[in-house]
Parts: sequence; C-alpha cells; structure tokens
Amino acid sequence: MALLLLSLALAAAATPPPTPFSSPASCPTTPIALPEELAPWTAAAPLAAAANVDALGTAPIAIGVATDLTLGKTGEVQYALRPERPGGSVSHGGMAQFTVTRAGLYRVALGNAAWLDVVADGKGLQSVAHGHGPDCSGIRKMVDFHLAPGDYLLQIAGSGTPVVRVLVASVPGK
Amino acid sequence: MKLCGAMALLLGVTMLVSGVVASARQSAAGGAAVEAGGPAVLSADAAMAALGRRLFYDGDLSIDGSMSCATCHGQRHGFAESNRSHPGVTDEPGRRNVQGLANVGRRHSLTWGDATIRTLEAQALVPLQGENPVEMGMKGQDAELARRLGANACYVRLFEAAFPDADGRIDLAGVTRALGAFQRTLVSDDAPADHFMRGDEGAISAEARIGAALFGQHCAACHAGLDYTDDRFHHVGAPDPRDRGLGEATGQARDDGRFRTPSLRNVAVSAPYFHDGGSPTLADAVRRHDMAFSEVEEAALIAWLTAMTDQSFLENPRFAYPDEPCEVE
Repeated sequence: MALLLLSLALAAAATPPPTPFSSPASCPTTPIALPEELAPWTAAAPLAAAANVDALGTAPIAIGVATDLTLGKTGEVQYALRPERPGGSVSHGGMAQFTVTRAGLYRVALGNAAWLDVVADGKGLQSVAHGHGPDCSGIRKMVDFHLAPGDYLLQIAGSGTPVVRVLVASVPGK
Repeated sequence: MKLCGAMALLLGVTMLVSGVVASARQSAAGGAAVEAGGPAVLSADAAMAALGRRLFYDGDLSIDGSMSCATCHGQRHGFAESNRSHPGVTDEPGRRNVQGLANVGRRHSLTWGDATIRTLEAQALVPLQGENPVEMGMKGQDAELARRLGANACYVRLFEAAFPDADGRIDLAGVTRALGAFQRTLVSDDAPADHFMRGDEGAISAEARIGAALFGQHCAACHAGLDYTDDRFHHVGAPDPRDRGLGEATGQARDDGRFRTPSLRNVAVSAPYFHDGGSPTLADAVRRHDMAFSEVEEAALIAWLTAMTDQSFLENPRFAYPDEPCEVE
C-alpha cells in the first residue's frame, strides 16, 4: 500500500514547464511595439531625484512622461518611509513626486529591479499587481496602484544602478 | 476522527521533535544575559543570530547592493516569494522557485536538486556566489564583502561578539555561519495544523480534517513529518530538458527529473509551486500530482494545506527587517 501511495504521490506532472524570459541577446535590434500606456518609455528626460522630502519640489515627474532619474547613494537618502528593501550601502535610491488628477489604475514602470513605494499622506500604498515589462522593452519591473486624485511621492530604493528610467502611466480603461 | 497510519506517524514525530522546537525557540528568544549592575550582554550564539538577521536583510551581500536574501525570501510568504523564479543581479533568469524557510534548521537537504548541500552554511554560497544562474553575484568578492561590512560599526561589534575566538574577523565564513544561525531561529509551530496534530481537533475546520486524512493516505509518504517533507529527491513527471534536477548535480541519468520534496509549511502563502514555479495555485499543484481527487476531496485537501499557515510566524517581528538599534553597543 505504501508503495502504491508513494507512486501516486510522484506521478507525472501535468503542468508544462515555464517559458524563460527573453534575454537581451535574443531581442531584436529594432525597438519593439509597446502598449499605449508604455509608449512614452522609449524617450526620457533626465532628472535628479530628491534625497529627502524637503527637496521633493525639485523632483517632479509627470504622468505619462518617462524620466531618467539620477539617484543618490543609499546612505545619503532620507526616505519618507523606510523602504521594505532599502538596499545595501553600495546601492542607490531617491524620491520624486507626481500628481494624479483623475482616479484610476496607474502603472509605475522601472528600468531595473529596485524597490519602489508610492506614498500618500505619509503611508505606503498597497500595490494591486506587479510583474515584468514586455520582453525586450527595457522595462524590468511594473507595479500597479489604484490612485485617487492627489499628490504622491515615489520612493526608489536599492537600485543597483545610479540612474534608473521611470514612467508613471495611467492604464487606459482602468 | 480516526487518523490513518501516516497521520499517526506524523503525530509521533510531533512528540519527538517538539523538544527540538522548544529548544530552538528558547535560543531565538533568549541568549541575552544580564551582568549584575551592568547592561545586557549578548552571548556569542545570540550575537551570531542577530548578526545573521541583519545580514539576511542587507543588500550589501549582492554585487550592486540591490539584492539581499530577503529580496527572494519574504517573511509574508513564509520566506518564499510570489514569483515563479527570481532573476539575479545580472537579470539572468532564475531557474527554480524560491522555497520557504520555516524550520529550515531541521532540513537534511537544502536545495531542489543537490543532495550534497546539507548545511545552511553551504547553501548560502549558492545564491551568494553561484553562477548557474548568477543570483547575488559575489563570486570572487570576498574582500569587497569584508570591506563593506567592516565599514558598518554595528557589524564590527556584532562580529566581535559573535566570533570572539576569531577576534571578530569579518569574512565570508563568518557571514555564512551567521546567516545559518539566524535561519535556525525561523521556527514555526503555531499553525492550526500544528494545534490539530497536537490533539486540538477544533483547531481546524471539519473540511480540513477530511483533508488531513486524505493527505495522510495519499501525500504523507513524501510530504512527511512535521514539516511535510522527507527531505529526499523524487521523480516528478517526465525529465525537463531545461532542468535535470538531481541529475545535474550527480551526472547520473537515473537522477534526471528528481527534485527534493518541498516542505509544505505556509504553503498557502507561497504560491506558485513546484521546482519550476509552474503551478500558480494550490489546486494546480494538487492536480499536477495526477492523483484524480474529486472536487470535494481537492477542496478538503486545500483546506488542510491552508491550515498549515502559521500566521504568527509570518508576522513575528523577531524575524523581520531589523529596524531597532544595533544589538551590541
């Protein structure tokens, strides 16, 4: 009986194996088509991120406009909230602010795997979804939030690079 | 309810191991002695665990500072994560699903496909220095690791307290020992399933009790013991050409497709499942065993699996990111 049970427990898997991510080497040389909300990703303006909340006025980002954020060394950043994953001393981080005028679903896209928080009224907001960007898009990470009209603070922490592209986009129809 | 033989076996193991759990918990909670008229002094063991906890959450254990152990091993997921696999610092795709760490100090094997890795200290080198795939990217970076940690005054004090015989030397061996010490404090024994196994039938629902009996009959041969794993490597389906499992480590064709039985502690919060993360839900994972349960049986099994969630473990502040001041002044 025990052998039967063991063989049952080890029976064949029915689920197909996962599909691996596309590696840069396998990506086309021409830019891939992006969904409407991510289309601005391909052209970005530079901006220095704020290293503390008092400097946030110098780091505004607009919805639907990609920005190459220059970050500070992690040890020199005073976050509004302690990030869940602050990163090591050799990592980078910073903050920016953005304003939402229409309630809806918003997607924060990043060019690397840094930790991000969207903060309102001193509290970090719960994301509703996360995932990778489209293969070969250069978007490494996307996190979705339901946002009401108002001002928000974007924290980026534990970045492995001193510059990271960021895009806050309204998701059409959501 | 009358328990089947496999469940009775589980109960017996519970009795045997409960002492070990109690001992580990005492060690995790205690370790501080108070000298007469003086401040609390950490024992070397407690200092090592405290050091390991800080290291566990520190991105400086990765080449670009972006990844810590906790990047993949999140407490709210039972120290697993919600992705199929996790790319490393070079964005090389992860190959296998992240496993939870509840009661990992009890494990006799520690990876999905390598039976030779039998200590937490040895396992830590896989993400730190491994190249298949690159995870934290620290191969050949021992001196850089020591430099980073040595620049942190708290680490200097904790290494001194944890390794007095080595004069507080900061090196890779100390890092892996401390990580192992912290992980051994990750004790979980407060799930409704634990209370049920200790005799409190009311700790779980009637449906979950049915699931427990089914589990004992059909699953506990491999998902055995207190942590629902036999720590052994078994064939699970046809060999995957992209992942030989144990065969990759042994070079033996007969080991192709053999993977370690994962612990099911906190399984309901650690989706997706299987070595490839290819089963997104518990129902998918149950069905992947091709055991032809009815819908009612499947629901009962899932109720039992959900009863293995130890909420106090998931929320225990002693396992969380160390926001408090350095443990050693």
